[in-house]
Formats: sequence, C-alpha cells, structure tokens
Amino acid sequence: MLPLYLLTAAKNKPVLIELKTGETYQGDLVNLDPWMNLTLSNVIHTNTGADEFSKETEVYIRGMHIKYLRIPDEIMDYAKEQNLLNMEQRNKNVKRRGGDRNQSGGGGRDHRRGGRGGNRRFQGDRHYNNNHHYQQRDNE
Amino acid sequence: MSATPEPSPAPVQTQAPARDPLAPNVEDLYLESYAFTTAAALVGSVDRKIFVLLRDGRNLFGILRTFDQFANLVLQDTYERIYLDDKFAEVYRGVFMVRGENVVMMGELDIDREDDHLEVMQQIDFREAEDELKQKHKQIVSEQKIRSKKLLEKGLINDFVRGDMY
Repeated sequence: MLPLYLLTAAKNKPVLIELKTGETYQGDLVNLDPWMNLTLSNVIHTNTGADEFSKETEVYIRGMHIKYLRIPDEIMDYAKEQNLLNMEQRNKNVKRRGGDRNQSGGGGRDHRRGGRGGNRRFQGDRHYNNNHHYQQRDNE
Repeated sequence: MSATPEPSPAPVQTQAPARDPLAPNVEDLYLESYAFTTAAALVGSVDRKIFVLLRDGRNLFGILRTFDQFANLVLQDTYERIYLDDKFAEVYRGVFMVRGENVVMMGELDIDREDDHLEVMQQIDFREAEDELKQKHKQIVSEQKIRSKKLLEKGLINDFVRGDMY
C-alpha cells in the first residue's frame, strides 16, 4: 500500500500538516491528488515560531511545500480494512465474470470489461481530485 | 631484476585499545549487497523499526510501514527525540507521513541496543528541550549570517539554508 493511497483513507479525518517553512495546518482532510496537493477544511494555522494562530474555513496546500503529515493512529487499521474489502469485492467480480464466461461462451470480451471496471473507481477518484475542481470554484 | 620476497614482518602484539561499548562490531559494518538501488532498497526495512533524520534536524523513531519511489515514508508509533549534548527528550507522535525530499538519512535500528546510548544521558521534559533547541538553532542562524557576510566580502558564497538544521 503506497503512502498516497494510505492518505486517501484519511479523508474527512483530522490531520496535521507541517510545511517546509515550519508553519503547520491542522484540519480535516477534504481531498488530495497524486501530487500530494491537499484541501483541508476547518483549519487552524500556526506560524513558524508557533506563537501566532489563525482560523481558516478552507485551505489548499501544494504538495511540494509539505514537510510531513501526521494522521490519526487508527488510519493504518482502517486502510487495511478498506483494502481487504476492495480485494474481496474484486475477487467476487472475477468469480462472477468466470461464471458468465462459461454460460455465454463469449468470455474474452467480458474479461476485458472486468479489468477496466477494477480501475474505474481510481479514475473516478482522480477526476474528482483534479485541481480544476477548485479552480472552477474560485472562478464562480 | 629479481626481487627477493621480503620476509613478512612478525605480527606485532599491540594492546587492544579500550573498546567503546556502544561501538558496533566491525563485521556488522559491512554493507549487505542490495538487490535494489535507490528507494526500492527500503523494502528490507518495511515493518522494522527505523530512525529517520529530517532536514530540519528532527529525529524520528518508528516502524516503517510503507514507502514509494520518492522515498515518502509512513512511520507508525513514531517517537520524536531531541538530543542535547548529555540530555535528551522524547515525545510520542503517532503516525507520520514524511515527504521523501525532507529526509536526510534513515536506517534500521537494532531493537536490542537502540536505547543503550540513552543510559548515559539524562531525560528532560520535551518542552524544555524544544526551547533549548530553538535557542541553539537561533545561534546557528546568527553565526551563519556572520559567516555569509565575511565570505561575501571575499567574493564567496556561504551555502547555508535556514531550513537545514541537520
């Protein structure tokens, strides 16, 4: 399980982000993309000296500037569970597809469709994560 | 020209120097041959306790759970430790996800001996240690400022970044 995949399991959970400058942002993780760009909601921002604080409703952080993130302890177990569920679902799909193939005889095409189905969720996620989503919001 | 083989000098018995109890055995220092290079060399350290030094000088101790091609690391049950000469302080930090570019070095810990060096040190409050460290960093920055000035007068550049405290 890659770190970024693990981070998707932390969606809607409280996280703490420290930038390379030493500033920290504490809030609920709304979304992220493959570049580790993030959006947070209900954020408490702390400056480098940790002596000034401010509240923001929503913050967008470019992944490049992140030093580290701290996520809740239970995320590791949660991500594992989610991963297992996903795998089970996939196995079920494979089994069902196998049955279909035996019945209809046109298995080749079915198999290919199944393969794409497995990816669909990820693609959907990626689309949803796209920055345009937020840029559009700004333009409106 | 025939060279007569010189008789090899008789082995000299020297007194073995007093061994540092914390020093590793010489044979432990040999590098293993790695099946992978770059970030993939970390596979062997997954689910083991590791130490990570960050560019800002933070020392993290935790169990490596996952990593990727950028050496982004996920550490579980992480402790942050501050070393100050003969004192140290530590605090529990939980799950850490470190962006690879901020890592200076990391290595596996020998869990039997990882705390040996702490026995000769005094543990202090983490807040206290943090304040002392802050002062230390401030001093380094001001020293480096003077250094930069002096070097610049001689037409040289001081290669110092404020964020680099390791």
